[in-house]
Amino acid sequence: MSPTKVVVVGNGMVGSRFVEDLLDRTAGPRGAGVTVTVLGAEEHEPYNRVLLSDVVAGKVELASITLPAPRDDRLVVRRGVGAARIDRAARVVHAEDGSAHRYDALVLATGARARVPDLPGLAARRAHARDDALPAGVHALRTLDDAREIVAATLNARRAVVLGGGVLGLEAACGLARRGVEVTVVHGGPHLMERQLDGAAASAVGHGLDRLGIAHRVATFADDVLLDHDGRLAGLRVRPADGSRPDPADAVLLADLLVMTAGTVAETGLAAAAGLEVRRGVVVGEDLTTADPAVHAIGDCAEPPEGGTGLIAQGWDQARRLAVMLAARLRMPGAEGASAPAGSVAATVRAGADTAGTAPPTGGTDLVRVKAHGLDVVAMGVCGPDRTGGPADRGAVGRRALSLADPRTGRHVEVVVADGVVVGATCVGDPRTAADLTTAYTRRTPVPADPAHLLLSPVRGAAAPAAEPSPTLMPDRATVCRCNGVTKGDLVACWHDGARDVEEVARRTRATTGCGGCTDAVCGLVDWLARSTESDRPRETPAALPAGEPAGSPISA
Amino acid sequence: MTGTGTHCPYCALQCAMTLTPTAPGAPLPVAVAPREFPTNRGGLCQKGWTSAEVLRTPDRLTTPLVRGADGVLHPAGWDEALDLVAARLRAVQQEHGREAVAVFGGGGLTNEKAYALGKFARVVLRTPFIDYNGRFCMASAAAAANRAFGVDRGLPFPLADVGDAQAVLLLGSNLAETMPPSSQHLAAARAAGGVVVVDPRHSATAALADDGAGLHLQAVPGTDLAVLLALTHVVWAEGLVDTAYLAARTSGADEVRRSVAAWWPERAERVCGVPAEDLRRAAHLLAAAAPVHGGTGAYVLTGRGAEQSTQGTATVTAAINLALSLGLPGRVGSGYGAITGQGNGQGGREHGQKSDQLPGYRRLDDPAARAHVARVWGVDPDDLPGPGVPAVELLRRCGTPTGPRALLVHGCNLVVSAPDNQAVRERLAALDLLVVCDLVPSETTELADVVLPVTQWAEEEGTMTSLEGRVLRRRRATAAPTGVRSELEVLHDLAARLGVTRGFPTDPAAVFDELARASAGGVADYSGLSHARLDAAEAAGEGLFWPVPATPDGEPDHPGTPRLFADGFPTPDGRARMVPVEHRGPSDDLRPDAPVYLVTGRVLQHYQSGAQTRRVPALAAAQPEPFAEVHPLLADRLGVADGELLEVTSARGAAVAVAHVTTTARPDTVFMPFHWSGEGSANRLTTDATDPVSGMPEFKVCAVQVRAAPVVPDGPVRGRPVPVLPEEVTP
Repeated sequence: MSPTKVVVVGNGMVGSRFVEDLLDRTAGPRGAGVTVTVLGAEEHEPYNRVLLSDVVAGKVELASITLPAPRDDRLVVRRGVGAARIDRAARVVHAEDGSAHRYDALVLATGARARVPDLPGLAARRAHARDDALPAGVHALRTLDDAREIVAATLNARRAVVLGGGVLGLEAACGLARRGVEVTVVHGGPHLMERQLDGAAASAVGHGLDRLGIAHRVATFADDVLLDHDGRLAGLRVRPADGSRPDPADAVLLADLLVMTAGTVAETGLAAAAGLEVRRGVVVGEDLTTADPAVHAIGDCAEPPEGGTGLIAQGWDQARRLAVMLAARLRMPGAEGASAPAGSVAATVRAGADTAGTAPPTGGTDLVRVKAHGLDVVAMGVCGPDRTGGPADRGAVGRRALSLADPRTGRHVEVVVADGVVVGATCVGDPRTAADLTTAYTRRTPVPADPAHLLLSPVRGAAAPAAEPSPTLMPDRATVCRCNGVTKGDLVACWHDGARDVEEVARRTRATTGCGGCTDAVCGLVDWLARSTESDRPRETPAALPAGEPAGSPISA
Repeated sequence: MTGTGTHCPYCALQCAMTLTPTAPGAPLPVAVAPREFPTNRGGLCQKGWTSAEVLRTPDRLTTPLVRGADGVLHPAGWDEALDLVAARLRAVQQEHGREAVAVFGGGGLTNEKAYALGKFARVVLRTPFIDYNGRFCMASAAAAANRAFGVDRGLPFPLADVGDAQAVLLLGSNLAETMPPSSQHLAAARAAGGVVVVDPRHSATAALADDGAGLHLQAVPGTDLAVLLALTHVVWAEGLVDTAYLAARTSGADEVRRSVAAWWPERAERVCGVPAEDLRRAAHLLAAAAPVHGGTGAYVLTGRGAEQSTQGTATVTAAINLALSLGLPGRVGSGYGAITGQGNGQGGREHGQKSDQLPGYRRLDDPAARAHVARVWGVDPDDLPGPGVPAVELLRRCGTPTGPRALLVHGCNLVVSAPDNQAVRERLAALDLLVVCDLVPSETTELADVVLPVTQWAEEEGTMTSLEGRVLRRRRATAAPTGVRSELEVLHDLAARLGVTRGFPTDPAAVFDELARASAGGVADYSGLSHARLDAAEAAGEGLFWPVPATPDGEPDHPGTPRLFADGFPTPDGRARMVPVEHRGPSDDLRPDAPVYLVTGRVLQHYQSGAQTRRVPALAAAQPEPFAEVHPLLADRLGVADGELLEVTSARGAAVAVAHVTTTARPDTVFMPFHWSGEGSANRLTTDATDPVSGMPEFKVCAVQVRAAPVVPDGPVRGRPVPVLPEEVTP
């Protein structure tokens, strides 16, 4: 039997993950049953696009974002070779270099490109659809080359405008500010991140930007880019989104760097030309398959029934699900959830769902998080405008939304609870609570009897012995020496039995004879007992401390 | 009056102690005093101080027991018992083949006993089926270290070296509770603010990072691997790796760099619940302490919390990758190490009680190794059986139609300590013959057909190899009670009854000499050691680290090897091997009907299944009963107050334990120590899913449902009797 030929168009984060996963799941003695050809338009090896804003921020090194390149003799990767067209009747992909690639299964993972706003000064770019057609100083932030160019531009740039106040825009703005560039975020929506946040949360985000020295103009449209005599960017003309007349003083933002982060457009041209249904993306069912059973689409180019989110978690989940499905179809060992140990209920359920091929998307992949130093924003599930019934709403009844507003510190926490689990949350300015809410949301752990407790990070690890402020304030039952289980009461009793120094107390109680970590505490107690005895016989409770005794002073000595 | 210098009977720290005979008529035969040694530095915990109590525990086994036709164990003479065991072993093997007999050893056995047991299985029984409870402790760390470094010595450096480090990353180790005196060695790192503890609980060890002494990363159970991938990501992404070291001393760094590119801290946060900035801070603390950045040294140390997992080998591999990225292993004052748990957890995995292994840490499938050991044993290499199966698989097969029909158990209380222990109980009950050697009655001896009473610790001579690979002398300080024999005698007598009259000496020094010869040229080479040389070394206050190869006559003795890897790694190319790994998560993850994690572990006062420590009054008083730690928020939701009974249910079974309400827990996680049997036994709940590489079971995490235990005064809890819980905790 000749091997099944899988052709993958796109060598980005999702395409490469799919390939890695498929090869992994079909490895083994009979692994020769599949061959994979990847056509990737970019010259680069696959890299972690999510980290491009960190590259801009100077937080990560460019070389460190390269993703795994599987070495497998079943795999051929053609870097720098895009796909030109698909002949579905013949099941052949024709590449730009003239080569032809027959397929049994075709996976489109062509991703998305940055949306370039409809501004007259950028018309050349739209006409040529080429990055290098942008005026000097104007950049998208979508590719490795974009990030590299922005980093180069920051060496000379003094003022930057970030066009688009979504997640990527805020990350880019923080990154540029970190490099010492003066930054203004221009956003057309009514408030920052309006897809995820409501006004109150967004104003907490604005507070965070203020603290980082980043200006922000919301409900503001870009009118045009202003270029200097050399065709270099000089500024951006803006106007109020409500159509009112702009204040002339505010109408032009001087800038020598413009970063466009105003969303993306799915790369669907290939699919559309091949007669596949395309809306915002290539339309696929829950099985990630188009109307043509041999053609699949995953990642940012795809439009699944639940809608594409543009989030990598969704793309990677799709990559995994499709790899499981195709591996199962190949009927190979390891296809049915190689990692699932027998006998585990959860594993069985997962494997069962996987092999069905129509596994629904994994829950918790719709979490949005701004990763920028000093700006902590996380939103997940039912949040922001959706929480009281939005388009994706299912059963707003029974939901309980609670929030904590702390405008002075830029903290805003909101949580939506239904059926005893967290179904959505927004958290601005409180990274620890954000991490807890993320876990509660993605794992559906039980919410507290009073869900208001979710709004704060729960008290943790209190009253560890090492953290006791003063043995003299301890209750008698408090353990002083963990290693030997000696309480304060034991030590006091030992004193009353005649032990008068640390050595004797240690000999009788064994306190201090383990790790020695309590030595200071025991010395302090013995000192306190000695001094107390001089004036008044100490009782065994702190309430009976001799008057005027400075609590804890022996310990700090 | 001089005492006997020896070491504590319990954990792998093997604290040095002196046992002094007491006056006639005293309740205990010896008095315990701590002794200065580089590991415990004169310290002892409560277990060590009270260890002599077990010598005179009232129910000490002093006569063999044989199960009669009435189903009850009756006292029997040694000859009667041994004749019976030999006859039944022979019968089982005649009827079902050699493989129908299996052996299960323990990490608490001396090197001499472990060696003799492995030899007995291979030479006398000639069965491939031998494994030991170290598979529950060290197998993942061993597999990962062997793959990366070409050798598995828990700490490839002296523990005291850690005392000079600027940063120490501890993953899944609660050493402040499990080996308390060892925490002295963290003083410098604490002073430098460099102690980083990864643990789902704010354990006693995590508390060592409080007040600016470091960081506690309170990760979601089962996600240590994600934490490590993120730390390694930060180290690479921020250019903090030791480039020259990686180029000169490792292979595979590029693959690891690429694999961690997908684990940026914000993604890891989603998996492990640790804020991304805390992950970055932890990575920065470690990196700053690395020699390449001018630090005074950094260590990455793993314990059972990270290893007892279906991805345990991968997790340890990730820890090693992090250490290698920072250029730590093989540099004085830095490194990676696994903190061995059981007393002889190190030596116990070197001398042949592992299913795939021969003495000297040799591989059973290596023809040269077989030839060497067969020559020492005086047998034909072709007569040595091949590799068997790891512990969990071995237990699963017991008493099944194609599995072992007879099992010999040494130094292990399986019915308490094995995962999914109710299933293990069923398997043991299905055997034709169960023979258990132990000092005291245990939950496992209760199931045995024959129980043989054996010597303990202060009653015997031998060697133990500690967590740092130092070979220590265990010395006799008092006579064993009448009727008790050493396991070396038991094996000698059984071998003779089964037709092997030579090769099973009963003198531990003689056994050690043979072990030394068998280990010669192996990874764990003891050939330059003898009891006499070790006594001299310990008298000098030190002890010797393996490998210690023999030297030709006339040449000075090999000084031992305190630090491995100074000149290279014992891999084929001399480089440490970096292997990319991926996080998959626990085998038994949360689901709607089991929405809370269970993690298991230990308390300071008890050791392993508690068979010894539960018999010490002071320890039993301090920790009298099974309990479950639960966060106040979860307790509130369940309507359970501190001290009330909590019912914990997993896909395997249910347990009832006293709720300890504490903020040291995560609100989504309950913790149970596993030292007890009966209704409160944590291992009723744990899964026997195992790591695909090491065979290590996933003790540390599973999904459970929790609720207040139904209150049925004087009656059964949900149809089951409640025999275990002490009366005073009845609600």
